[in-house]
Amino acid sequence: MSDQSLRDIHWMLEILQTIDVGLVVINIEYEIQNWNGFMENHSGHRAQKVQNRNLFDVFPELPHTWFCQKVDTVRELNIRAFTTWEQRPYLFRFRTYHPITSTAEYMYQNSMLYPLENTSGEVEYIAIVIFDVTDVATNKLALQQANSELARISRTDALTQLYNRGYWEECLYRELLRCRRHQHTASLILLDVDHFKPVNDTHGHTAGDAVLRHLSRTIRQNVRETDIPGRYGGEEFGIILPETDSPKAFAFAERLRGLIEEEAIQIGDNSVSITVSFGVAELEQNMQTIEDWITRADEALYQSKQSGRNQVTAT
Amino acid sequence: MSSDHAQESGLPQELTEEQRDCYQEIANIAMGQAAALLSRLLGVFIKLPIPRVNLFELADLNMALQSLDHDEAASAVCQGFAGDGITGEALIIFNDSNFEDIAQLMNYSGEQSEAMHVELLMDVANILIGAFLKGLANQMDLTFSHGHPMVLGQHKLVRDLLQPSRQPWQQTLAIEITYSLEDHPVNCDLLLLFTEDSIRIMNQKVAYLLDD
Amino acid sequence: MPTSVLICDDSSLARKQMARALPRQWEVDISYATNGEEALAAIKAGQADVLFLDLTMPVMDGYEVLEHIRREDLPTVVIVVSGDVQPEAVARARSLGALEFIKKPIDPDKTLAALTQYGLL
Repeated sequence: MSDQSLRDIHWMLEILQTIDVGLVVINIEYEIQNWNGFMENHSGHRAQKVQNRNLFDVFPELPHTWFCQKVDTVRELNIRAFTTWEQRPYLFRFRTYHPITSTAEYMYQNSMLYPLENTSGEVEYIAIVIFDVTDVATNKLALQQANSELARISRTDALTQLYNRGYWEECLYRELLRCRRHQHTASLILLDVDHFKPVNDTHGHTAGDAVLRHLSRTIRQNVRETDIPGRYGGEEFGIILPETDSPKAFAFAERLRGLIEEEAIQIGDNSVSITVSFGVAELEQNMQTIEDWITRADEALYQSKQSGRNQVTAT
Repeated sequence: MSSDHAQESGLPQELTEEQRDCYQEIANIAMGQAAALLSRLLGVFIKLPIPRVNLFELADLNMALQSLDHDEAASAVCQGFAGDGITGEALIIFNDSNFEDIAQLMNYSGEQSEAMHVELLMDVANILIGAFLKGLANQMDLTFSHGHPMVLGQHKLVRDLLQPSRQPWQQTLAIEITYSLEDHPVNCDLLLLFTEDSIRIMNQKVAYLLDD
Repeated sequence: MPTSVLICDDSSLARKQMARALPRQWEVDISYATNGEEALAAIKAGQADVLFLDLTMPVMDGYEVLEHIRREDLPTVVIVVSGDVQPEAVARARSLGALEFIKKPIDPDKTLAALTQYGLL
């Protein structure tokens, strides 16, 4: 071999040793054959210490079945395989380069498994290449979190923490479609606080807000997990009850009405009692839009108001 | 505007019949090699189609994707490659209803979860894209570097998987292959997209094959 | 008398590559078909002592051609030439009566070996 090519090889090895990418070569018995500087520095194991040791003994946290399945595929099919941090955050549990400031506890890793053939074309060794993708991963996760938080905020009513009108109507529309498609039924309850204006006028707007918060809490605590309550407008609320016919919805509204009537709301030193009127409408064949459905519930609600408030009317 | 642009840069706006035939045959062979590996992994015979080769503007990519007939939610992985002046991306598109069958064929037990779906997508992508590119590179006498595969989207409608292109007038050479499993309701699309710059170089490469 | 050889493949590149891969010393009359139907017609017209047959084709694929040849007992020797290299594809082609299976891309040495083995040269 010429001096030139010897020097080239020397340089190459030096680069592989210092490059900021993890390189491991294992044989088909999973014994470590090669281990570069990145692996030494992040694992704390020197190359000569791990030479010929089983990879799973050195890294007990490495998922055995999963990793063997990947390696088997690479070996048998003689192809390279990639894994991403989205499948598994890491292959080797290493600290990040920013152990103090990073939001990640461990280094996120992408990895590539590469078959190495011997001279007769059989795969005898597997190269494992580890890329540190902590920055990419933490950014993407932060973005996803921010987006889902934004989505949550955009559909929530700030005062009551129930769905706001826009999103709640979207839910109602989806329920309407779902019922049509599967020939199921559902009911809609609209409810409105009786004599809300005097509460505001007598006790102030903060008291009015406290009443609405109290009411929404009572609603939230009493609906089933599948029911969808929302704030429809000022002191008006709506509840979607999937798989519920009119008598059942009526019974539920009646129970809620009683609870609200009984429980006095403590506002500062004052105790305020409120009552609520309800309108119940089960979905009917001839309802084309959610507006039709809402109108029917609204008519029932009007009926309750007309007949003296603090009562439930079903269509 | 689009056709002017193509004319100015002197790029082919259409493939000759001979060129299309050539790409189709190269794809046919690469596709078969990938299928052999996938069928070994899944233990199922894979029905091979005739690959479709088309030249279109990136603006029409979404239309091309929708013609692949995924009317339900799908998931996709994409992987870039580059070599000898040829660059492009490979896409694997998977109907979400496929996951259960594939999980069973690959002996993945446990709950169907987001993480498992990424896992399955990556496994299938590794094989189909890896083997296809290997087959293509061998036939055209070149080598490719592969980027890291990326999950393009999960459980989305196909039209929402891709962002609109920044260079909608750019032409792309597209090879589309639909792999389907015999006796299983599983379909998986492999799409290879080559950049406008690559087309000229590729045309030169296939010219050698034709002249030889 | 030269052997009549029929090459059936939908791809013109593939037909050309197959023709090129035939041994030079082999005295042949080559004709071509682009799908299974054309191939059957050519066989019946006596243009195919040996048929090199692709599997994946429009109109009528290779498997159907094999079935027809067997059912109608057509006088030809079939060598399948395909990019579908799944072991199952090879097994199916053989069970349908293909004498040999040549994998694409075609290796001229293997083609020569197969032709010699079956005494076609």
